[in-house]
Amino acid sequence: MKLRIVFQTALRESRGARGRLMFFTACLAIGVAAITGVAALSKAIQDGLRAQSRELLSADLVVEGRRALPIELDGALANQPNVERADVRELVTMASGVESGKSRLIEAKAVRGRFPFYGTIQVATRDSKGGNEFFASTLADDKAIVAPELFEALGVSFGDSIRIGGAQYEVAGIVEEEPGRFDFALTAGPRVFLTLGGLERADLDDFGARIRHKALFRLPADPPREALNELKTSLKRDLPGSVYLTIETHSDAQPMVRRAIQRVEHFVALGALLSLVLGGVGVSMIVRAWLSSRTAGIAVMRCIGYRPREILVLYAANVVLLALVGSIVGGILGSLVPLFLPSLMSGLLPAGFELHWEPISILRGVAFGIVIALVFSIPPLTGIWRVPPSRVLRNEAEPLPPNRAVQVCAGLVLALGLFATAWVQSQSPLYAAYFAGGVAALAGLLALAASLLRRVASWLPRRRMNPHLLHGIAALARPNAGVTGAVVALGLGVLVITAMALVETRLTEKLRTALPFDAPTAFLLDVQPKQWDGVRTILQSSGASAITEVPVVTARLDSVDGVDVATLAEKSRLEEDPDRRSWMFTREQRMTWMQDLPRDNRIVEGALWTDASPREVSVEVEYAKDLGASVGSKIVFDVQGAKIEFVVTSLRSVEWESFGVNFFLIAEPGALDDAPRFMLAAAKLDAASEAATQDALAKDFPNVTMIRVRTILEKLVKVMLRLAIGVRILGSFTILTGIVILAGVVSASTLHRAREVALLKTLGVTRGGVAALFAVEFALIGLVAGLIGACAAFVLAWTVLDRLIELDAALPWWSIPVAALGTAALAAVCGLLACTRALATRPIESLRG
Amino acid sequence: MIPRIECRSLVKRMPSGNQTLTILDDVGFAIEPGSFTAILGPSGSGKSTLLGLMAGLDRPTSGEVWIDGRRIDALDEDELALVRREKIGFVFQSFQLLGNLTALENVLLPLELSRTLRANERALELLAAVGLAERVHHYPSQLSGGEQQRVALARAFGPKPSILFADEPTGNLDAATGERVLALILDLWRREKTTLVLVTHDASVARLAPRRIHLKAGRIDRIETSENAA
Repeated sequence: MKLRIVFQTALRESRGARGRLMFFTACLAIGVAAITGVAALSKAIQDGLRAQSRELLSADLVVEGRRALPIELDGALANQPNVERADVRELVTMASGVESGKSRLIEAKAVRGRFPFYGTIQVATRDSKGGNEFFASTLADDKAIVAPELFEALGVSFGDSIRIGGAQYEVAGIVEEEPGRFDFALTAGPRVFLTLGGLERADLDDFGARIRHKALFRLPADPPREALNELKTSLKRDLPGSVYLTIETHSDAQPMVRRAIQRVEHFVALGALLSLVLGGVGVSMIVRAWLSSRTAGIAVMRCIGYRPREILVLYAANVVLLALVGSIVGGILGSLVPLFLPSLMSGLLPAGFELHWEPISILRGVAFGIVIALVFSIPPLTGIWRVPPSRVLRNEAEPLPPNRAVQVCAGLVLALGLFATAWVQSQSPLYAAYFAGGVAALAGLLALAASLLRRVASWLPRRRMNPHLLHGIAALARPNAGVTGAVVALGLGVLVITAMALVETRLTEKLRTALPFDAPTAFLLDVQPKQWDGVRTILQSSGASAITEVPVVTARLDSVDGVDVATLAEKSRLEEDPDRRSWMFTREQRMTWMQDLPRDNRIVEGALWTDASPREVSVEVEYAKDLGASVGSKIVFDVQGAKIEFVVTSLRSVEWESFGVNFFLIAEPGALDDAPRFMLAAAKLDAASEAATQDALAKDFPNVTMIRVRTILEKLVKVMLRLAIGVRILGSFTILTGIVILAGVVSASTLHRAREVALLKTLGVTRGGVAALFAVEFALIGLVAGLIGACAAFVLAWTVLDRLIELDAALPWWSIPVAALGTAALAAVCGLLACTRALATRPIESLRG
Repeated sequence: MIPRIECRSLVKRMPSGNQTLTILDDVGFAIEPGSFTAILGPSGSGKSTLLGLMAGLDRPTSGEVWIDGRRIDALDEDELALVRREKIGFVFQSFQLLGNLTALENVLLPLELSRTLRANERALELLAAVGLAERVHHYPSQLSGGEQQRVALARAFGPKPSILFADEPTGNLDAATGERVLALILDLWRREKTTLVLVTHDASVARLAPRRIHLKAGRIDRIETSENAA
């Protein structure tokens, strides 16, 4: 058939069913809106990151390392005329109010030279405000500019003094806006700006404190991306120890943020796809109802000589046309999401971030809508093969036997379509397989339950039943009542929302309250060995228990089994998640030594300290895999300039969730005796005494950094709650789709219902009475969908909590009846709204047939 | 000469509750090209079932159906559809027009399917021939029964089928309209040189046919021929 004829016939075919097909459009529009919204938002964020990349990086090029940057750096850039350089050091440390004695973990940033090169830092002093120049003029070696929240945390104000390490600084101003700082990143603490000279005054041991050294460069005349990348490559090649350096240009600014966003995006995208898939279920239901109302016409077409597959093409073309309309509507709605979202996202995006309309994401959403509508329409469309052409002669002609090959093909098309769309959305075939498999399994379960419901409804003895209940149950048992689709769609929606709510509530509760009983609540970093006695005395006097301390030596990986670290890092870049793998090799490794392993460590291969001659090291098993090391491997570490070779003699598994002090690398006692070291301590403190202990430590040992686990958990909870808002929005999309499907199914049976209403009214039932009869029917559908959805959600939430996160999953059982009753009420209301026209039918219609 | 249609020992049984009903029992005859045959009998004698089998709309329980020397009862659904598309036209008692298409579009449907050149002109021509030139853009619900049947006639003759099956074409029409429709069928039959098979329970309608096959309780009761019919 010619394409023109196909679409012409398809257009003609859609004429009589426009009202009903409105639901078709709505089903898709909601799903496509979700998909487009997510895609538009993430594209807007990615574009924003790109557009503001210079501001985010504050420079054209940044070289960063964990140790002092090589002095050759300036020479390497000597051939670049008019290059400007600024130096920045960042570290997490303690600050305390000199007067108040209150202390707080902070993120200090010390700058020398012009900062920032791009973007604006907004600073306010007691009586003035300003941008970059004001920042530079306000800051001095004995002054600090702090985040506003530090005022309350440290009990200080403008002009007061704070202590960091061994020095005091006057609080000269507050920083109102800093380029490139994302609020949603899990920051360790509020920002404090110092000068580089000022930081040196603090006398924080460069080796113990985890300082990040950064050199920021501004190149003249906006060099093109290629030139920057070339420069980056030449620096990587020429700088000594460049393997341990991170070199970023503004074109790849914030790669971590971008990747983190991408990862979240892929999961959220699958959530959006779920809502579109539900829309697909709705489309499938509507197409089924549509087809059954067209049986006579299909029989005529077959009679005239149309082959079943030609009729399928006509109907599929019709689906495409309708899907196009629904998807465009959804696409436009979804693409508006980023325009309205800034209010929702406030605090999540850096200041000055612009979100704009993304027409490309509409196209993407429309494509998704059409594919999903098509693959979900094909299974019901195989019903065309069952329409007997002899129906033109006898209305009661038996349907033809189903064509199994066609049905199998339709099933395959559906499965492949689902998998392919999930793959595109998640960018991972594995997640796509989980998604498609999970959806299929849940939908299968719900469909099974729906068919059971229909059977039970037809078996139930109805003789002594309340007439409303009787009618409701009888309606469920009626053939082609559309119960299955409505239960599947509503049930999936309930499942998503309830499971998310259960996991989120439990996780938040657990994070807030349930640190393991004997887990430490505070970690102390950078304790010098000579300070340990004093630190321990403070801890003991604060009532701390389970105080443990271990020596820590920082080292760099030099080679594994003779292969140098640069080669290893380069090789790992070719693999999945290249940055993480590369980081495993080039980061500062922290090692300790001990005779016996802590309780939460278990040897899985080899044995501990069995060989007398070589230096032995025990490696955490997953980490060993990343390094490509096994028992017998030789690993050379660069310990503060000295190369020391170790032999891996054992691999360990570690229970990280115990919150205990644990290491990837544990050396044999004695192997690192001469190496410079600091102490890492852990202790269990009462929540009430934590702040006072921190203040006392900050006063006597200002270089010691205390990390409070409870505070970090609180932050995690906050971030989680923010993410939960997004999940809830997506969940409500799925519920909305479920309701539209129910309404669509109800509306598809309008003709039938209208006759029923006319007859019931003729028999003397009032309009309210008829509405009550219908409400019971819809409520029963909702009740079953809600019940099954909530039960499945319960199981899913339990599996996630107990098996994946390994949390004690004590879930509230009452969530099941609440979800079931809520869905029943929602279904009754929406069902009634969808059949208002039928309810208005006059009794005379029953005489007209 | 190869018969246009040949039925050999046709049997059709159907389940009805726990029983099996025999609708047709050992029915056999041949129909020559260009002829006009009436199949008549009382209600329930198996007329429409026989028409369904001859047209490949249904399959016999046993026996064979041949069209133009090709056995069609063993063909699959797609092949049957092609046979109907190429050779057969239908007119039904209940008109069987597609309610969402206009008169013109109903007539165009088989023409477009068979990729007839200048389909639109042909459809308009046929609608004019049945006296509906002014009503081509009307929907079936806007037409009277007689008009609907005339649209069905135009649709049936559109692709110039070699066989036209008419199942009680006047059954739903009043006497005057029925006569007019019959006259049109016969006119088109002569003009298009189609083989006409007309199923009816009305002896006066059947008398128009030169050859009449009488069915009774699923069997051929008798076959009559008359020279002066139609």
